[in-house]
Amino acid sequence: MVYRMTSFQSTIGDEEGIAEELAEGQREISIAEFFEKNKHMLGFDSGARGLVTAVKEAVDNALDATEEAGVPPDIYIEIEEVGDYYRLVIEDNGPGITKEQLPKVFGKLLYGSRFHKREQNRGQQGIGISAAVLYSQLTSGQPAKITSRPKGQSRAQYFELIIDTDTNEPEIQADEETTWDRPHGTRIELEMEANMRARQQLHDYVKHTAVVNPHARIELREPGLDEPLKFERATDELPAETKEIRPHPHGVELGSLIKMLEATESYSVSGFLQEEFTRVGKKTADGVIDNFRDIYYGRELSWSPPRTHDDRDVASAVADAVANKGKDATTAFAEGVAETVSNNDRLTRSELAEIVDNTAETVEGDTSKTFGGTVRENAVDAAWRAVTGLGAEEDAAADPGESDVGDADETEESPLVPDVYALVDEATSTRKDDAAVQAMAEALARRFENLDGDAFRITRDDLDRLVADAASFVAEQRDATFGETARENVVEAFWSRARTVPDDPPKVKSIAGDRDAAADLLEAMRTTDILAPPTDCLAPITAELVEAGLRKEYDADFYAAATRDADVHGGDPFIVEAGIAYGGSIPSEGSVELLRFANRVPLVYQRGACATTDVIKQIGWRNYGLDQPGGSGMPNGPAVISIHVASTNVPFTSESKDALANVPEIEDEIELAVREAARELKSFLNKRRSMQQRREKQDVLGRILPEMADKVSEVTGRSRPDIDGALARIMNNVSVEREVNGETVTLVVENHSDVNEALEITDIVSAEPTDLSDGTVVDMDGEWFVQWKPEVPSGDERELTYAVDGNPEFEVSVGGVETEKLTVNA
Amino acid sequence: MTTESDARDELIDLAADFYDQFAAGDIPEMTLPTRTKSNIEYDEESGVWTYGDRTSTRSANSVRGARKLLKAAYTIEFLAGQLDDDRSSTLRELYYLSESWDNDEAQFNSQDESNDLVEDLEIVTGVTREDFHMRPEESGAKVMGPLQIREQTNRGDREIHCQLDVGQGGYQIPNNPDTIEFLDNDAEFVLCVETGGMRDRLVENGFDEAHDALVVHLGGQPARATRRLTKRFRDELDLPVVVFTDGDPWSYRIYGSVAYGSIKSAHLSKYLATPEAKFIGIQPEDIVEYDLPSDPLSDSDVNALESELEDPRFQTDYWEEQIELQLDIGKKSEQQSLASRGLDFVTDTYLPERLGEMGVL
Repeated sequence: MVYRMTSFQSTIGDEEGIAEELAEGQREISIAEFFEKNKHMLGFDSGARGLVTAVKEAVDNALDATEEAGVPPDIYIEIEEVGDYYRLVIEDNGPGITKEQLPKVFGKLLYGSRFHKREQNRGQQGIGISAAVLYSQLTSGQPAKITSRPKGQSRAQYFELIIDTDTNEPEIQADEETTWDRPHGTRIELEMEANMRARQQLHDYVKHTAVVNPHARIELREPGLDEPLKFERATDELPAETKEIRPHPHGVELGSLIKMLEATESYSVSGFLQEEFTRVGKKTADGVIDNFRDIYYGRELSWSPPRTHDDRDVASAVADAVANKGKDATTAFAEGVAETVSNNDRLTRSELAEIVDNTAETVEGDTSKTFGGTVRENAVDAAWRAVTGLGAEEDAAADPGESDVGDADETEESPLVPDVYALVDEATSTRKDDAAVQAMAEALARRFENLDGDAFRITRDDLDRLVADAASFVAEQRDATFGETARENVVEAFWSRARTVPDDPPKVKSIAGDRDAAADLLEAMRTTDILAPPTDCLAPITAELVEAGLRKEYDADFYAAATRDADVHGGDPFIVEAGIAYGGSIPSEGSVELLRFANRVPLVYQRGACATTDVIKQIGWRNYGLDQPGGSGMPNGPAVISIHVASTNVPFTSESKDALANVPEIEDEIELAVREAARELKSFLNKRRSMQQRREKQDVLGRILPEMADKVSEVTGRSRPDIDGALARIMNNVSVEREVNGETVTLVVENHSDVNEALEITDIVSAEPTDLSDGTVVDMDGEWFVQWKPEVPSGDERELTYAVDGNPEFEVSVGGVETEKLTVNA
Repeated sequence: MTTESDARDELIDLAADFYDQFAAGDIPEMTLPTRTKSNIEYDEESGVWTYGDRTSTRSANSVRGARKLLKAAYTIEFLAGQLDDDRSSTLRELYYLSESWDNDEAQFNSQDESNDLVEDLEIVTGVTREDFHMRPEESGAKVMGPLQIREQTNRGDREIHCQLDVGQGGYQIPNNPDTIEFLDNDAEFVLCVETGGMRDRLVENGFDEAHDALVVHLGGQPARATRRLTKRFRDELDLPVVVFTDGDPWSYRIYGSVAYGSIKSAHLSKYLATPEAKFIGIQPEDIVEYDLPSDPLSDSDVNALESELEDPRFQTDYWEEQIELQLDIGKKSEQQSLASRGLDFVTDTYLPERLGEMGVL
């Protein structure tokens, strides 16, 4: 049901897309009428919006086409006023397009559904370029004009294409050779009724496209621009190629599962699972099927076989049930069964049946007697009565009327009670008194006896209910409480000892026709641990390039980006990436700018309805250093937040694909990605704030302390003291001070900060230094560069010395420490 | 007491400390006793409350601290100059004068700030404000009673009898009462009175004459000069001292500062406090006994009383009993509520009874 296709391909899929379903009921009316009725959903509800949508569709197509050809995209967009109309021209440097492809790409409205194709693809976003073609034709009466030049061809081909609105069939009206200066690529020209009222959205779209596609070069010309807007590429690295994947068992909905069951070629559930889903092999399929059996059939409760001192004897019961097989064979069979049974701690009826079968096969081989189906069934029944103790007494009972069941205070105890008692006793706390445990065991035993059939089959849900019912009976009658935990423990004690039944699961066809069975299968798929879907079908931008994209288009002081690991929603893997740019020339008034992207396509409209917006609003931004009036809602300040969701199936709120739907898994990942980037922002802002405070403190103290020193020297009548040491100490600074004593030069490095500092000190001396303490010296044309890289622990100091003749000049530079933290007096 | 040149030397020494700290590459700082309720201790020897061992440091480490020390340096210069010139000035003048300093950072932002700084300097140098030639704006306090004194004024010495030579208002206590010499007296005891109204009532009723009392008007929280003079009456004339205030928590603090010393000036307690001073009333007990007109205690009154229970100065059996009684009855009364029994009740009945109980009369 899935296949890979290029974005210029637009084949009819065998799974119908939503848009197609939408169109289905409309076949009777003309395509033009259909378009008219649904244009709000298609993004063409106004001339302003129609133009933006047309640009968007064309650019998305162009980007996909170039990327698939492995060419860094170079896209040219031009909008011109032509009389009453606008002419839109989009050019790319892709592989071009053949005449055969033309109608499929540009012509067939609504047939090229890419929905549910499990591959990350821009084309998911829109209804397709064909809608733009139709819009242009309907509003201006002009055909779409397409020029294509495949790589390596010297001439280009020019086509004119219109859509027959009665038949919805494209018609190529012109097909001629032409020349085109691009070596390869496609050019589309559409004329349409439009206006430029959505200029801002158009610019945003193009700019954001550039942010999220740093490998693309984009140029926009439109009548309102004096000069074209050019967005240069920031990297030559193309996004990783994506692969197609099958759906993941954790992600399908019941409806899709039933459709898949109906459509599959597979006959067995196991085959179906392995064939149609990703990450399902034989082992995983078996796991799903076991879980399915437990849910669909229930498990069989197991019981302890009789011990030797019990009066229930499996061997004689089996022997009595066998007739006409001869003494030897009968004894061998009966004892064989009895021995195997006694080797088991606990046993279900199905296990017993298997033992009987195995023993029968063995004895048949040894004795040439045949143990047919009926004999085996009788043997199983008899042995099971011996194991459970049920039915045997019934046969022997004088009055069969006594075997009625219920919660009356009977004198006769169910033979299951001792076994049940042992499990209940083990599962409940030691503080439960014995009478209560006994009462519970009796109540449970009676209810187990009441189960349909004699195999004690029960689903987990029914077991929950049965135990709860018994507990409330005991609470009522015996005033003994079995709380929720105790009940859960009891359920677990029985369930963990119960066995999955050996019955084959129903065939695919019957599950497809049985909604409840399909729901059970879905439940089984969901409860089975299955590897997350492969993520090589996704092409995240990567944190570096998210940041590069922001850097390219926003002149900020700070950038951060985060890419999350892939996660799954509805069987579709997705990856969330977030980036933040802060400060610089980003306007600080009003709320932050939010850039939303799905599969590298900017979302321009319906910001308020988007899950990304909801997530941003509920994050406490004050904690990350952004202003947020009221502590929730859009934060304010000079910041740009970009969020990219890449998925094989991006969930949108509507067909116009402007807003991400509120899918909890995706929202969680968006939040984590944004918070990851925001944490970096926070530490940047904290550091900046503390540096600013430090600078302010330094400014004030740098003014006050010399004045105070002047004043005290005035009052005491002494010369002004040297206060640099005190200053460095106050500022928790690193101070570098020079002392020259005869020929010895000492640089004293004192670290008054509370962290260890690694410095890089270079002293440029005009005479040759000798006797260096550590360090290196390089002669640079009569100047000597003496360099040390001392590490100075917090609160410690280092002396760097050398000897030099005469009266040289010095020039020291210190690196490795922020200038705010540095006091140099050398 | 220190002399003027001692005072000057102490100030210069403090500046020299700052200088030496700078020169040693250290951060200049000034260490002071912590001036809070929890850091005052009873001094067995003198019977007053003084600062304990806990100290706070004003350090140039912070912008705030550095500004304080800069102001200290400027103030030291000013005070040293004032002593050199044998001039004096008021605390308020210091505040305005700082406006003329060449450095904006050194100017005071409020008078509280300059007052505090002068107190800091007193503590660090061990020199009183009076010896820096700093005085408060006005004392306002007056004495009336049978006492002959000689005061050294700027205009020469004056001999004054505090009953015969003064008007109805009494003798005005000078800012530095150490300039007074006691010549002669017939006084039996000293009666410190909180409010001006009550003082005037006592004088009008001739209480000072009738009982040979020195009536000292405290005027709210008593100025240092008033407290110093009261201490001198006790120490030099050997007179018993009693304090008469309203019956509310704020007034008990007035008594506390006369008797035990105030938290802000605990460094001067030995010089200012009169530990022998006794409290006459209004006692909470009197409110009950004389059935005085009263007001209910407000929340802040209750808080103040509770805080007094924690105040080491009030941790005596007498005060605990009275304060707990007051919290119990939830009432407070003013001195003048005694007038509800007639204008002469206070002089004819209340005071004689209380003084008798206390063994003063």
